[in-house]
Amino acid sequence: MTARDDILGAIRAARATPARTAEAIAAEAASLLDAPETTRPGLAPAAGDLADAFARKAGALGTTIEHLPDIAAIPAALRRYLDTHGLPASLAVQPAAEFAGLDWGGVAIHRDLAPDEPAALGLALCGIAESGSLVVHSGPDAPVLLSFLPLHHIVVLRVDTLLPHLEDYAALMAKQASPRNAILITGPSGTTDIEGSYVRGAHGPGFLHVILTRSTD
Amino acid sequence: MSAKPHPRVGLFVTCLVDAIRPQIGFAAIQLLEEAGCIVEVPAAQTCCGQPALNSGDDADAAHLARQTIAAFEGLDHVVLPSGSCAATMVHGYPELLADDPDWAARARAFAARTHEITSFLVDVMGYRPQGRRLDASATYHDSCSGLRDLGVAAQPRAMLAEIEGLQMHGLEGNDVCCGFGGTFCVKYAPISNAIVTEKAEAVERSGADLLLGGDLGCLMNMAGKLHRRGARTRCFHTVEVLAGLADGPAIGEEA
Amino acid sequence: MSHPIPQPSFKARAEAALADRTLKLAIDRTTGTAEAKRAAAVAAFPEFDAARRRGRAIKDHVIAHLDHYLEQFERNATAAGAKVHWARTDAEARAIVTRICLDADAKLVTRAKSMLGEEIGLPHALADAGIERVETDLAEHIIQLAGEAPSHIIWPAMHRTREQVAELFRAGHQPPPAAEDPATMVQSARRALRAKFLGADIGISGANFLVADTGATCTVTNEGNAELTTTPPRIHIVTAGIEKIVPSTAHAFALLRLLVRSATGGELTQYTTFHCGPKRPGDADGPEEMHIVLVDNGRTRMLGDEFREMLRCIRCGACMNHCVVYRQIGGHAYGGTYPGPMGSVLTPVLDGLAGSRDLPNACTLNGRCEEVCPVGIPLPTLLRAWRSRSWREGLEPGTLRAGLGVWAMLARRPALYRLASRIGVRALRLFGRGGWIARLPLAGGWTRYRDMPRPPGRTFMDQYRRTRAQKGGRR
Repeated sequence: MTARDDILGAIRAARATPARTAEAIAAEAASLLDAPETTRPGLAPAAGDLADAFARKAGALGTTIEHLPDIAAIPAALRRYLDTHGLPASLAVQPAAEFAGLDWGGVAIHRDLAPDEPAALGLALCGIAESGSLVVHSGPDAPVLLSFLPLHHIVVLRVDTLLPHLEDYAALMAKQASPRNAILITGPSGTTDIEGSYVRGAHGPGFLHVILTRSTD
Repeated sequence: MSAKPHPRVGLFVTCLVDAIRPQIGFAAIQLLEEAGCIVEVPAAQTCCGQPALNSGDDADAAHLARQTIAAFEGLDHVVLPSGSCAATMVHGYPELLADDPDWAARARAFAARTHEITSFLVDVMGYRPQGRRLDASATYHDSCSGLRDLGVAAQPRAMLAEIEGLQMHGLEGNDVCCGFGGTFCVKYAPISNAIVTEKAEAVERSGADLLLGGDLGCLMNMAGKLHRRGARTRCFHTVEVLAGLADGPAIGEEA
Repeated sequence: MSHPIPQPSFKARAEAALADRTLKLAIDRTTGTAEAKRAAAVAAFPEFDAARRRGRAIKDHVIAHLDHYLEQFERNATAAGAKVHWARTDAEARAIVTRICLDADAKLVTRAKSMLGEEIGLPHALADAGIERVETDLAEHIIQLAGEAPSHIIWPAMHRTREQVAELFRAGHQPPPAAEDPATMVQSARRALRAKFLGADIGISGANFLVADTGATCTVTNEGNAELTTTPPRIHIVTAGIEKIVPSTAHAFALLRLLVRSATGGELTQYTTFHCGPKRPGDADGPEEMHIVLVDNGRTRMLGDEFREMLRCIRCGACMNHCVVYRQIGGHAYGGTYPGPMGSVLTPVLDGLAGSRDLPNACTLNGRCEEVCPVGIPLPTLLRAWRSRSWREGLEPGTLRAGLGVWAMLARRPALYRLASRIGVRALRLFGRGGWIARLPLAGGWTRYRDMPRPPGRTFMDQYRRTRAQKGGRR
């Protein structure tokens, strides 16, 4: 007997009632997700703008938020951000098509990430208002480490990608093939491992800056 | 509210009250009678069986469960001045006897008419003490079984609020265990001591003259620690104060 | 058994812990914060109770159909390119992981905190195989420097004060941290571990969830160390208990809402990451191989016995943060992988009851753990179940059995009991003066630390009988 057979056999031996069909199990699993609004926090403001709700949640977690009309305004905003934090005008940029045609002005951009990269710019797939989370998926033009190596992680989030709740993102994910990594980023990296006191920038970015744009045109 | 204005109530005194502080039993009778009950004290009662139950000795616990159920047969209610003994009867007995065809239903019926005294007085009898006065400050410790297994929290406070002159002080960590735990306090005495030390410190910080509670085991634990520390806090069971006995000797004071 | 109960005994370990005031200070600082933050998070989430019922139902559903979901998970993980392994025991799990490391000729392994890894004894197994292991979670890094085991499932270094951490970092970091404040020390660890992350051959993580319908594993961290552990190396290994299965991502989210609030008082951890197979062709980064080791180690046995409900546990640590005993003695005194109430249920499963019978007994059954448990595990009931089994198997000490035997013999005979108590309280009075007894033979555990109220000369039943006789009452 393989370990697999033994484990599955032991599970079946412990079952008091006959096994049910896959369809019956799936139906029960689906029913366990009924009426999601009864077991999740509401949005604040309740019926307001998703961008507002997102910004409130994310802001409470230490994420900074900036609103820009469109993606063309990003380079200037980045220069201001880097200036404000005393960083050189240089930045790792995600090789996303959305960033390809931008005029970077005085900001020197690069693709390869240094182990102690000071700042990087990425694009979120979507955002979740309930928790103030950004979602990134790994891919050919979306390195995972871009979200983790830099000290300053700057993320462009299109307002029209905002989803109200975690379930809405789960539904979105269910419709497409899973990437290697699907990552929900909910605030800058932090730890409470020393005496429970909260410190930012444990291993991942100590600063998370979200640029909310109305469009990527 | 009970359908009957004068229910026949069996008082289960509890082994600790029987031996260490009989006054609690008499205070309970007084309050139950004031509330309109006809009180009986069946002679065939000993201990609820909790020491056996919590030590894993299920056979002896089940025997005592059957003995107690039989002793209180025919009474409208069973009332105890202890949340933990009441919880043993309400939750423990039906579990212990669940597989016993002759006793399972009796245990459930027994559990359904068993009550901790302060919740019985308030929730079933709608009782409030009248014309009582006590010029003192007091704080209240929520004993764990009463609080979590039986929902005893508002009832004692509602009755204490009727006592004129009695000033209630908050207790930091009022719902945190005092470290008694039945046999735990002697089996793991150093741990129990560390827990009750923190409790005594909180009681002292409350600045109250009196510490009140609904379980004699916990009260003995806290009173004994407070006395060993030289604190002046006086400890009473809630029913003693409600029955107007708080001007007499507190736990550990001689008459 | 990967964690034989260490000598000395539980009682000796507990007493040593009680004497350590620094330990108490460290525990109070973290559990105090954790308790307050959880309370605030629950207060801000009025749907918590309903969410808890849903969470419990999801776990019960999975436990009832574990075989179905494990097979589904295996199919989907395999389709995504991962290799799924099955381990009946901790030893099998260690052997599988070590074999993967040796076959890959791995020299350096980074590990993101996983209590299952501790349960199966992975740290020692890697050391025995001559593989350098670097713990990347800050707390695990601290205890690796100290050469210790975790003392808490969420804050493994809870037993260490900031001053003690500073001492470890000064000795273990080059350059040493310049100050003792947590922020400076966190920066120091960030610098020290950066090169290790990028130079590792293999990254090992646990899983908070195994998602059956996608084949993904899910990790949650606040630091970002999991992704830095699982992305750069050539191979990513996941070790996970078979009870970590959820039907879908949406079910995982329902449980995450409970897990994070109960653990740290947050709503979500900073990073919630689903890992589905190795890197896809063309991906910018990610491991070339992904291995998932599904570990039983006693779990299928629990399915069929009175500890089945323990399989609901999502490892939030709330029970220990709210446990009066844990808060006095800390995690190491328990002697197993998992401390506190949930550990006192699990350690007898993992390490055997004979060596751990103290754990289910060293509990006041106050019920606070059950009250805060996000999936409604009746922990006091399960602890009592171990006591029953210990009694049945004759593991309880002879003195206790004898003492309880005499008591039960009397309690089963009401008339004799009344007589014995009448004599007993009079005898008891002889040991004290005034209202108190300061020393009492056979009850030294009581009177060593506190006084005992001296009983009046007559029991309640005695007095009641006399007053009734005078009044001519019934019964």
